[in-house]
Amino acid sequence: MSEVVITGWSALTSAGIGADALAEHLAGVDHGSTRASSGVAVSQLYEEPLPSPTGHALADFNARAELGRKGTSSFDRTTALAVVCCQEALRSAALELDDSSRTRVGVALGTSLGSFKSTSDYSRETLVQDKPYLVNPVLFPNSVMNCAAGQVAIRFGLRGVNATIAGGTLAFLNAVRYACNTLDRGYADVMLAGAVEEYTPHRAWASHLTGATAAVAAGEAAGVFVLSRPAPIDMSTGNEARIMSVSTGFGPGGEEQAEQALAGCVQRAVRQAGIDPADIETVLTGEAEDSEDREYGPVARALGHRPRRVLAKRLLGECDAASGAVALAVFLAPRTSDSSVRSGLGLITGRGPDGAVGAAIVRG
Amino acid sequence: MVRVAVTGLGPVSSIGIGVSAFAEGLRTGRSGISAITSFDPTGFPHQNAGEVQDFKPAEYLRQLDPSRWGRSSQFAASAARLALADSGLDLSQVDPSRAHAVIGTTSGESQVAEALTAQLVNGGFESQDPALLRQLSANRLANAVSEELGLQGESLTIATACSASNYAIGYGYDLLITGEADVVFTGGADSVCRWAHAGFFRLGALTGTACAPFDRDRSGILTGEGGAVLMLETFEHAQARGARIYAELLGYGLNCDANHPVSPDQASITECMRLAHRNAGIEPEEVDYISAHGTGTVANDLIEGRAILEVFGSNPPPVSSIKSMIGHTMGAACGFGAIAAVTAIDQGFLPPTMNWVNPDPELTGIDPVPNEARPARVRVAQNDGFAFGGNNAIVILGAVA
Repeated sequence: MSEVVITGWSALTSAGIGADALAEHLAGVDHGSTRASSGVAVSQLYEEPLPSPTGHALADFNARAELGRKGTSSFDRTTALAVVCCQEALRSAALELDDSSRTRVGVALGTSLGSFKSTSDYSRETLVQDKPYLVNPVLFPNSVMNCAAGQVAIRFGLRGVNATIAGGTLAFLNAVRYACNTLDRGYADVMLAGAVEEYTPHRAWASHLTGATAAVAAGEAAGVFVLSRPAPIDMSTGNEARIMSVSTGFGPGGEEQAEQALAGCVQRAVRQAGIDPADIETVLTGEAEDSEDREYGPVARALGHRPRRVLAKRLLGECDAASGAVALAVFLAPRTSDSSVRSGLGLITGRGPDGAVGAAIVRG
Repeated sequence: MVRVAVTGLGPVSSIGIGVSAFAEGLRTGRSGISAITSFDPTGFPHQNAGEVQDFKPAEYLRQLDPSRWGRSSQFAASAARLALADSGLDLSQVDPSRAHAVIGTTSGESQVAEALTAQLVNGGFESQDPALLRQLSANRLANAVSEELGLQGESLTIATACSASNYAIGYGYDLLITGEADVVFTGGADSVCRWAHAGFFRLGALTGTACAPFDRDRSGILTGEGGAVLMLETFEHAQARGARIYAELLGYGLNCDANHPVSPDQASITECMRLAHRNAGIEPEEVDYISAHGTGTVANDLIEGRAILEVFGSNPPPVSSIKSMIGHTMGAACGFGAIAAVTAIDQGFLPPTMNWVNPDPELTGIDPVPNEARPARVRVAQNDGFAFGGNNAIVILGAVA
């Protein structure tokens, strides 16, 4: 694939809505701290019990306040987070859309399984109602994984390629890879590539019971990046952020095979980006603890050195499908102080429980 | 210029498992519809679906332990295993990092989600089984294929609802065209589930016993399930190993209605057909057969039929819907449609639209190939897929010239 330019982006994290809120939050974080942030109080968010009193939720998030009442009443949290994030990303890119350009703007949105809460609540109704079919037809689309991407298209009139990519912890890298292919092949001129994950009792409990949040709190986030091909003659100042390459793969059997596959992805990404691996100064992995080595180990071996590692989920929670998007947002967030983790070249990695792996090289 | 060949077919369907049984089912108009057994349908007015009731994953899977994977993943991996066997490829001769899995789905591991929901209804959130929770994430469908066949390339699950396997086939095509791949296993999988049965019923889109696409009195879908995988490779790769090439994958088109969450949009679908033709480098008059989305709902068939008449004129090619036999298999539907289109090209017959009785006066000119398969020479076939979210995807397949 060829590199793509990031012409705008936004992220919704427990730090708030948008890049500035994230930057402000990061400026206040003690990056030397050995303790993972536990997030904010979440007990008021839902009537159902939660496994932990705190989490990385957007506690004050109100979709109607951001989007108005029209067309939003059926939105579940995943859809609302995605639509608001795309609104902010489009604003950031200052993209001017008309009827003809809208057919050339697409969406690639990563997820784990859409909204597990919407799906499970729908299924629940078939069990607890007097008749199993007494479900709400208006909410049926929310039980399908492509609901959020479809609503993004409706909201902003984006009629180009519209894809929902189910990738679990690899979802964002998968979505970026899909978006880059769409641009490379000329199927679209602009792609909104991102990922979303909601904080609900369903997800919090699933994370808790599977041990995914033993080291960090459960979280929610959306991150969306507006991508396009570089202009044929580069008129830019050279300052805009780029995704230089992304590579994903699979290590059958997991374990060592997955480590080799991840190293292979890093090597391919380096080759495609045409860079010297020594120039990568920052690695943002999906790991939760400094003692972990399941990503950083094979990455460092592939690069031949040990760049600074940033563990975004210690700052912003376990955001599953949105993890990679949060990592890129942390990398790109504007800096005002010397606490910067942003530097010239960054590497974002992911590794799933079954052997799925991926790596992207980004320039800040 | 790279050309993409279809060299292996792996259908796991309610009318037959494996390409011979499936093709025979299409040729004879077999019905895969039966009384629902995968959930208790008590209380539902309609109690039939297209379940793959004789599916025994252990007969197909060599690597996956079925107890660790949900039903949809088992469908996907079994279908991929069958496609590989059908292709005659010795996978040990392929660079595993250039072998990819791309699988489409609507609801992923829906039966796992329902089992967990039953647990939390009965015993609260904390009573959910962690082993089941680990089977929940939808990316496992493609991961199951990668794990089963030992593929190290991309392992991608595309969740664009009922057109998802056309998206997957399209992405597989791109992986080959752009030189990223030697082999791609692509298609889709889904499982019958209670919540979709309820949802379609409440939308007024579910029928009782017989799905009758394009019939005047059609009354809706029957939910179905299965796994449908096609093995793709470059012509060069296929020819070097002396492979049988079923058909050529000519290209595809995608667009989005950006209009309504569930209602199809005729103008957008018309545009998607034209996009697919343009990307595949064909003219509409070259299309000999349309494997329709053809869900059997009033709205879909009307919009699809009108779009076809708009694009092809008053005398379009024959249009049939295999959903009349296997039901609506959701994320696998376009995969089955593509296998049917390849079969039409390879074996020289058009699969019928079963249960068709009366022409729809609003669709004059649409020939649904009613009730009996028809011998035909198919050089180019169009495989339609439309979905919730306005996710339209159309794939074009051709005979090997």
